[in-house]
Amino acid sequence: MLILGIESSTSQVGCAIGGHEGVLASAHSSRGKRHAENLTPQIDFVRQQARVELDEISVVAVDIGPGLYTGLRVGVTAAISIAFGLGVPMIGVSSLDLIAYPVRHCQKLIAAVIDARRGEIFYSSYRQVPGGIQRVTDPIVSSPEDLSAELQAQGTETLMVGDGALRYADHFDNLRGVESAEPGLAYPSASSLVQLAHAKALREDFVNPSELKPLYLRKPDALEINMQPRRAQ
Amino acid sequence: MTKNLVLAIETSCDETAAAVVGEGKHVLSSVVSSQVDIHARYGGVVPEVASRAHVDLIAPVIAQALIEAGIDQSDLDLVAATRGPGLIGSLLVGVSAAKSLALVWKKPFIGVNHLEAHLYSCFLEEPDLELPLVVLLVSGGHTMLVAMDDHLSYRILGQTLDDAAGEAYDKVARYLGLSYPGGPAIDQLAASGESKIDFPRPMLNEGYNFSFSGLKTSVINYVRKHPETPIEDIATSFQEAVVDVLITKAKKAVIETNAKGLCIGGGVAANSLLREEVLDTCLKEGWQSFVPSRLYCTDNAAMVAAAAWRRYNQDGPSSLFTGADPNLQLLE
Ligand SMILES: [Zn+2]
Repeated sequence: MLILGIESSTSQVGCAIGGHEGVLASAHSSRGKRHAENLTPQIDFVRQQARVELDEISVVAVDIGPGLYTGLRVGVTAAISIAFGLGVPMIGVSSLDLIAYPVRHCQKLIAAVIDARRGEIFYSSYRQVPGGIQRVTDPIVSSPEDLSAELQAQGTETLMVGDGALRYADHFDNLRGVESAEPGLAYPSASSLVQLAHAKALREDFVNPSELKPLYLRKPDALEINMQPRRAQ
Repeated sequence: MTKNLVLAIETSCDETAAAVVGEGKHVLSSVVSSQVDIHARYGGVVPEVASRAHVDLIAPVIAQALIEAGIDQSDLDLVAATRGPGLIGSLLVGVSAAKSLALVWKKPFIGVNHLEAHLYSCFLEEPDLELPLVVLLVSGGHTMLVAMDDHLSYRILGQTLDDAAGEAYDKVARYLGLSYPGGPAIDQLAASGESKIDFPRPMLNEGYNFSFSGLKTSVINYVRKHPETPIEDIATSFQEAVVDVLITKAKKAVIETNAKGLCIGGGVAANSLLREEVLDTCLKEGWQSFVPSRLYCTDNAAMVAAAAWRRYNQDGPSSLFTGADPNLQLLE
């Protein structure tokens, strides 16, 4: 089984190829807003590094967000198109799962926090269970202020990880029992995606390309701002 | 017939479309999934809503285009997508899908200019049109008179200085309380009205540029002052003013550029009065003319395939590093 993983929900875009033998090759780039330009050549590069042909890929895994809409859509569209083009199934993994995964050995509560722009964050929490981690709260949109207040009220030993934790570090720094993971772990990695997807693939936890839906969490602006249909004025 | 087979994808605005076309003229399939119902309740296209719908629709629409064409991906020679101009979030979906398919199917990719695609909608059904031609490109986003001297070789004679013709239709329709999109709504209403009001013909004798903002304002002012006027008569009179300006300038362009004829393209080219007037004018003047089927006037992927095939055979493929360009110009 060979898995192609694509992630693009933050300011970086990455992909990896791997399977039973682990990750064979991966690449990331973070030239802001260049996701659509870079992703296809990057997949071709990683394929060459892994020394495989794309028609050997049997599963396409993708980061379904939450994250920055434009980047997210580029990755999800590319993944859907590749899976459709090859006639293979897909696995969707949340970006928050991806940033919690590398700190899975931590005994504390893991708070995965992604910068949602506009002063907001995407957030979900995780706890260690035998064999990995388990999501404790579903992904939500929140504000750094609200999350900080929640963590303070809980008083649980917590490890913060993600670019949202970095950006709003001043909201969490002084909370008792709360510490931050190293900055190098702040972004979802395509290698983690392939590893997580591999476990799901063994359980045949697949979706069809037509069923895969990005996790936006927020409604489009117009739906929030302009619920009234326009009339002649 | 199936040589030079192009799969094209179009997602520049609110239509998710895919088509399979041979040699720029044999349309094996042309699938358009319109989001018009989704946007109608906002009275216009909401970019984020459009982008999300494209992601949901892209694979089913491509799948349907291949099935309807009765071909397999191995039969394809080229994968194309509109890369601009248009809404950035929407364009990125089509470009990403096309590049990905080109990569996995090991086919060349080409990024297409949406305006060039509209120009080529004429050649889709009438590949033997003789050049040079004047093409009037009118849609919700563009109003342009183009001198097509040769294939892929153009001069822009004039364009709108403010609202596009389709935009003026939408705004007047909204003021009159008609449904979105405004073009078809006014066109339908105009059929039963009378041309009683002499609305201004902006810039009628001033070169090839257009201005529809002033016309829109005078329609609104007239309705405010004469609320008793039947709405059908407003629609008929407004439509006549728009078409009069478009035809007068297009006619002048054909004469002054020594073109062999006049063609139209773009969403407003689906307008009944404009179609009739173009055919009438050309018949009277002895020019060749072409008015594409309505389904090739509004956004579709068959016209993208036609332009892609021409471009590819002249310039070769685009790089896989190609991105979307929301402000792409016709002459670039
Ligand atoms: Zn168009």
